[in-house]
Amino acid sequence: MLKLIQKGALAGAMILAAGAALAEYPEKPIEVIVGYSAGGGTDVMARTAAPFIEKYLGSGASLVVKNMPGASGQIGVTEVAGAKPDGYTIGTFNLPGMMARTIDREAGYDRESFTYLANVVNDPNVIVTSKGSGLDTMEKLIAAAKEDPGAITVGMSSLGGDDHFALIKLEGLTETEFTIVPFKGSAPARTALMGGHVAMGILNISEVASFQDELNVLGVATEERSDFAPDLPTFREQGIDLINGSMRGFVAPAGLPEDVVAKLDDAFEQMAGDPEFLKAMADTANPIEVVTGDDFKQLTSDLYDLANKVWQETPWN
Amino acid sequence: MTEARQNRLLRPETLTAIGLIVAATGFLIPTFDLRPISALLPAAMLIGLIVLSALLLVSDQRKAAAGEVAKPVSTAPGRVIGAFALIVGYAVATDLLGFYPSTVVIIPLVSAIFGYRSPLGLVIATAIVVGSIWLIFDFGMSQDFPAGRLWQD
Amino acid sequence: MYSDLLNALPEVFGLANFLAVIIGVIAGIVVGAMPGLSATMAISVLVPFTFGLEPLVALGLMAGIYNGAMYGGAIPAVLLRIPGTPAAVATTFDGYPMAQKGEGGFALQVAVVSSSIGGIASAFALMLLAPPLSRVTLLFGPAEVFWVAVFGLASIIFLLGGSPVKGLISACFGVFVSVIGSDPIFGSDRFTFGKLELLDGISIVILLVGLYALPPVIDLLETPLKTGVSEDKLGTEPIWKALPRMKGFWKTWLRGSFIGIWIGILPGAGGSMAAFMSYNEARRASKHPERWGEGEAEGVAAAETANNADTASALIPALTLGIPGTAVAAVMLGGLLVHGLQPGPMLFRDNPDVVFGFMWQFLFGAILLVLLGGSLATNSFARLLNLPRPLLGSIIIVLMLIGVYSIHGRMFDVYLMLGFGAVGWVMDKLKFPLPPVVLGLILGAFAEENLRLALRIGRGDWSVLFRNTTSLVLVALTIAVIVGPGLKQRILDARKARRQA
Repeated sequence: MLKLIQKGALAGAMILAAGAALAEYPEKPIEVIVGYSAGGGTDVMARTAAPFIEKYLGSGASLVVKNMPGASGQIGVTEVAGAKPDGYTIGTFNLPGMMARTIDREAGYDRESFTYLANVVNDPNVIVTSKGSGLDTMEKLIAAAKEDPGAITVGMSSLGGDDHFALIKLEGLTETEFTIVPFKGSAPARTALMGGHVAMGILNISEVASFQDELNVLGVATEERSDFAPDLPTFREQGIDLINGSMRGFVAPAGLPEDVVAKLDDAFEQMAGDPEFLKAMADTANPIEVVTGDDFKQLTSDLYDLANKVWQETPWN
Repeated sequence: MTEARQNRLLRPETLTAIGLIVAATGFLIPTFDLRPISALLPAAMLIGLIVLSALLLVSDQRKAAAGEVAKPVSTAPGRVIGAFALIVGYAVATDLLGFYPSTVVIIPLVSAIFGYRSPLGLVIATAIVVGSIWLIFDFGMSQDFPAGRLWQD
Repeated sequence: MYSDLLNALPEVFGLANFLAVIIGVIAGIVVGAMPGLSATMAISVLVPFTFGLEPLVALGLMAGIYNGAMYGGAIPAVLLRIPGTPAAVATTFDGYPMAQKGEGGFALQVAVVSSSIGGIASAFALMLLAPPLSRVTLLFGPAEVFWVAVFGLASIIFLLGGSPVKGLISACFGVFVSVIGSDPIFGSDRFTFGKLELLDGISIVILLVGLYALPPVIDLLETPLKTGVSEDKLGTEPIWKALPRMKGFWKTWLRGSFIGIWIGILPGAGGSMAAFMSYNEARRASKHPERWGEGEAEGVAAAETANNADTASALIPALTLGIPGTAVAAVMLGGLLVHGLQPGPMLFRDNPDVVFGFMWQFLFGAILLVLLGGSLATNSFARLLNLPRPLLGSIIIVLMLIGVYSIHGRMFDVYLMLGFGAVGWVMDKLKFPLPPVVLGLILGAFAEENLRLALRIGRGDWSVLFRNTTSLVLVALTIAVIVGPGLKQRILDARKARRQA
């Protein structure tokens, strides 16, 4: 009986303490570390989301975006992993890139280094071919790849990125072989594709949305059709179970106090339902898929396992 | 005689050529860990540097043998080393103590050491430079400069 | 499309929008003129700030800064032999000797007029020819771009200076520095020694500030003289008096504009290569090439026309394809994305007001350049450089630190810059030419990346490099550039011999 009262009192005290902390956070500006230069896709996401997070955190919260570009975002995310877990430093997080970097080089963080707040953007992969290639359906593409393994050149943004994993999945699913041509970023890859210098490309849907007349877009790697191109069939519809994409979200250092996590998660969830936010993201070509908390952590873990498996079979560097 | 020989090896171009050969050879070692295609361009450049430096060394030594006197690199080595040390010191101070305190000190310090000592001029110049940097970068563009690692944490 | 162009015009003349261009041009000239500060840095500092501005105000500022800085870079290049921006390196070749001869004022007037002409030509190319020119960009795949880079590297031959061995050492050094970072294909580290900061390679601005700005600063402090540039050496006169002296330059202006626009639409190479190439071509065409490098005003005209002629044209591939033609255009692309302007063919249809307004702003920026830069900037900057030398030196030191720190916001780059500064000082004193380092850094890794992409496309078959006409034309041009001068000399000698006989 006494124990029960003790427990109850303790729980009560904790709730009170949490309540007090809840009322206090955030009492100073929250720094959002972006691992890319101002004006990149991730930066635009962070800056677009910032005012909405401020709004839903309430109590005069303010978010300050700080760019720490370099090493494909690694410098910024390492900074976040090492920051004090007090809720005043959060950062952007890219998948599968951030996890792949822990595999293909030494990294100052791992998947346990973060408190996973929310994934905001999921930009699915698409397969495109150049107009001159004549490969205007998936069937033709796969037939051509089977006929002469490696004859089809695939432009993409880099090795060890979402596009690379998509291709490896495709190769596994269809028992084909392609020649990878990793450009520096997806815009040069897309340009080479338009000029017919490579036959096929794996890009993200936001990157081809306004180039649909210049390229053959063969399919999108989602479960259901994307709002960005409602006419574009998914690969599932075409009999290939390929789901893959590039994700961007927010993380904080591991060990963030429960109440702060709760408050931030709540703000992200409310933001996800805000039509104004949805419109702002659509205007900047960011397909949204908000996943918070433990689901986000699970997603990261799954992607790490996938990247690790690929690395064990075919290391790319 | 020994002094002359010593001088021959201490000619600036000879020293530079030897330094280049040593440095390029040092950088050549990690190229062996790279894939051949990755190592191709850097290795070619490093070998190029070694060969060219050897040529430079030979031609400079020929000049020495012909009795040509090498021009001194600097007329006032003390001032050069001092100036460079001050600049490095300024960078380190910015890193550790913060940008604004270091800058307020460095402008009058460098000017005074190298010969401009009008107190009023120094105060005005420092105020204008630091003031406009603060106004444009910090106030206008909310750019952060190093706050000083010593004061943090 | 052309009616959209006219429809966008009234908006451009909105007070805030037009004021933005004016402020941008002035700010650009100032930034360019400050040794250590560069256009890349100014615009990357500006981009986050523009998030809350109207699109045309933000873009007007950027267009103005870009135009202004490309000229501003010429001011310290002429007066102090410190190129204010990477693209102004070629301006030092003849600009500084002119200032030594007491023609600094005229050199700056040539620079501002040439910059303006190049900028105007480029803006017209952007406004009228963006879609067809972007088709030209598409012709250039990795194999073709590789040959462009080789063509650019071949011009190093003309930048070697007095001693070919030293020139080639400089070039090898530049190319070697360019490979530091991650491997272009595999992403594995090369010479980074575990430093994440080195993974993306060494920014040209860091190298340039160290190599070009630090040695003159040390010189300023080394020899105690009272003032930086004496008034009588400047030789300023009103610009309308200077104009008639430039009437023979129209060929150089035309050639420089053409080269600048062409280099601009090719992704990656950028303003310095345009300026170098224009300078070389103008010298080759000159009747008295021996005078070049000793204060030939036409050399300043060639360099400055080309480095402004690639400003607007670098935006052609940026706007239509999402691939920026220069480092500055890359940062500006970020500024467009911030305002929700996604590059691509739809951009011109979805946001004609903003896109065409932006193009007009480029044109007005280039025109304003001659008005604002002509007398105002030139005179006030010349005055500024009149400060006592130790004071000038210490101010430049502060600017160098700010300029390098602000690019990525890290002290690592500052230390790196100081390292290059020490190297630069030794090179300067031992008469190693610096331009091959700059060209090597810009084009070395660029050539390698494209070569290896081309080889991947060709599945390891080197013949992929010679498979189409564009490549073959470029190969022929490169050979002509290398062999041409010798051949011409031989023909001339033969003629002379025949005449004597």
